[in-house]
Amino acid sequence: MACGTTSLWAGETSWFCCGNAWGPCSSAGGGACGTCRSASYHGAWPNASQACWDITRPDLCGENIPRRGCGSVMNVRHQCSGATVCITITDCGPRTKSWCGEATCCNGACRTNRVLDLTPAAFSAIGNLSSGMLPVYIYE
Amino acid sequence: MTAHQGISSAVGRRRFLTRTVVGGATIVGATALGGIDADAAFAAPQPSLDPAFAKSSFVEGRITRIDGSVLQVLGSHGDRACVQLTNATSIWKGEPTTAAAIDTGDGLYARGVPMPDGTVAADAVWVNIVNMATTIRGIGKNRLHLSHGHHEIVGNVFPGTTNASYAGQALTSDLSKLRIGQHAQVLGAWRPSDDSVDVVRISVGH
Amino acid sequence: MESLTSGLASGLASDLTSSLTTGLVPALVPLVLAGLLGWTGAVKLFGRGTVRQAPKTALARMLRSSERTVLVLRTVGAAELVAAVGLLALPASVGSTAAAAPGVAAAALGAGFLGYLARARATAPESSCGCSAGDDAPITWRTFARAAAVLAGGAVSAACALGAAWMAEGSTGADGAAQPWWTVIQEQPFVSLGFLLLSSAVLVGLSADLDRWWRLPLRRFRLRLFGHPFNSAAAGGSAVPVAATVELLERSLAWQAASPVVRSGLVDHWAEDGWRILQFTGVYEESGEEGGAARPVAVLFALDATVSTDTTAEPAVRVAIVDADTGEAVAAELLSPAVRPALPLAG
Repeated sequence: MACGTTSLWAGETSWFCCGNAWGPCSSAGGGACGTCRSASYHGAWPNASQACWDITRPDLCGENIPRRGCGSVMNVRHQCSGATVCITITDCGPRTKSWCGEATCCNGACRTNRVLDLTPAAFSAIGNLSSGMLPVYIYE
Repeated sequence: MTAHQGISSAVGRRRFLTRTVVGGATIVGATALGGIDADAAFAAPQPSLDPAFAKSSFVEGRITRIDGSVLQVLGSHGDRACVQLTNATSIWKGEPTTAAAIDTGDGLYARGVPMPDGTVAADAVWVNIVNMATTIRGIGKNRLHLSHGHHEIVGNVFPGTTNASYAGQALTSDLSKLRIGQHAQVLGAWRPSDDSVDVVRISVGH
Repeated sequence: MESLTSGLASGLASDLTSSLTTGLVPALVPLVLAGLLGWTGAVKLFGRGTVRQAPKTALARMLRSSERTVLVLRTVGAAELVAAVGLLALPASVGSTAAAAPGVAAAALGAGFLGYLARARATAPESSCGCSAGDDAPITWRTFARAAAVLAGGAVSAACALGAAWMAEGSTGADGAAQPWWTVIQEQPFVSLGFLLLSSAVLVGLSADLDRWWRLPLRRFRLRLFGHPFNSAAAGGSAVPVAATVELLERSLAWQAASPVVRSGLVDHWAEDGWRILQFTGVYEESGEEGGAARPVAVLFALDATVSTDTTAEPAVRVAIVDADTGEAVAAELLSPAVRPALPLAG
């Protein structure tokens, strides 16, 4: 399935590690879908399943994010640079409810709430890992 | 070249670059560009990183050997890669640093361009970088006790170097608002020797 | 002499047996153990967390089924509850070998826990123990210590019950008989309370799942008492960290304009005359009829060192893209404003 251009959501994205890995990530495992790998263009979506939703609870931040299960593909676009990466959803996350109201802006145009987590491969394709957080548009 | 000459040439180059950027550079900002609709600009088919990144590749794993400026990397899933560092490669290990700071056994993420000989010429290398969703379990002198999944992790804190962000505000070196029990995103540099993490930035929510 | 020694030894052994079977400790150990088993058993048997936590436990990895895991956890919980009731209701003072059954059961549970933990530690070290079902803490030395305490407590209870039964058979007087825990508490309330508090504290200390109820409040109290170790004054005043300047840059129009050229992360940074200079590297592909040449460039940004995203959303940033070898300025057209048509947006 190819990544499309239909608007899906917008918000902040961070990055996380999964699959076999080194350091504190070594315990991460393959994620909620069992196939997540740090070196692949993968991502974690807060509504990958009902069980996932119960953990992330984006609705508590006013984000009624639609269900997109394991294997869904999305185009993630850096709001500031326009750089884009096509990812596959392979995990559940981030825990949106812990960061309600947090905003990341580009020239005053702000994206609020953490709605996506990217693997290092995907995140570094549109930004620098040391930045930690990016404002993004998400298309499918 | 002696070390002294090296330092003076680095300082000289910095001076030259400072003059270039401060003296004759273009000013890009709200006042210079006027009222561009930021959202419209972002969505436009502007020149983007896409073409370059489509050609770029990504390397993940532990450094098994360092041959001059080439890093031999064993991927976490058993794959092997050679990462070539160049003068243009940015290297991060807790802070922007040089190739001299990289050690065998370090973990690595690298973004670069694949070369015909199979190596990857690195544009950016992040050594031992970790970004974890944690909960603060304890605050001690120069350290934080963090829980990350089923793990307890010691976060080494360096006043003046470790930065914090509170509820999305700008990074600050003021760590006094950290509280036990808070959920915290910790970006840091893992220390393979004792499995602790040097905290570079810690972001806490509301 | 020999008879004197043997007499002394026999007297000491008798005293020891007597104190083990009639003293405070043997009477109260079953009570403490019953408290622990009652709590962990009830949580496993009746707790809603059992279903939620089951898939995360090492047991689930071994059984490869969440449903079977829940069933096993509930069954073990029921066994723990039965053992707890037995320990409370059948003290050693009953004087029959049957009174040893709850102790033996508890010891068997403890031994089983230890075996399970050893296997889990070897095969699934990242999984949680499932020891109290509401617990998602990993298997650590504390988990082992608590299981060992159950084994030891069960063994002591069983040994005392057997000892009491043996003494009851051998003597007719009431002096040597073991006392049930309720009598001991009535006769020595303060010492009993002290023992119960101490042993409960040890068990709570060995229960990682209870940390949030005592360890974190204790640490919070310590911070309140001794002050926050990271006071704001020691943090270098109000200076804007380099990372905050980088953050401001990466959210600016200047970054957007220069990003087609930038390839690296931050390479170098320095401060001069109130400016903070951030250096990146990149490749500038000149557009030409023959496709153009790629030139390695240094991309430089100069920002006011005192501003951050808190003070301005739209910073004025000085940008220069210079040839990495010659220092000649290039790519000026990238830094000019351009008219860009809008596309449909998300959000």
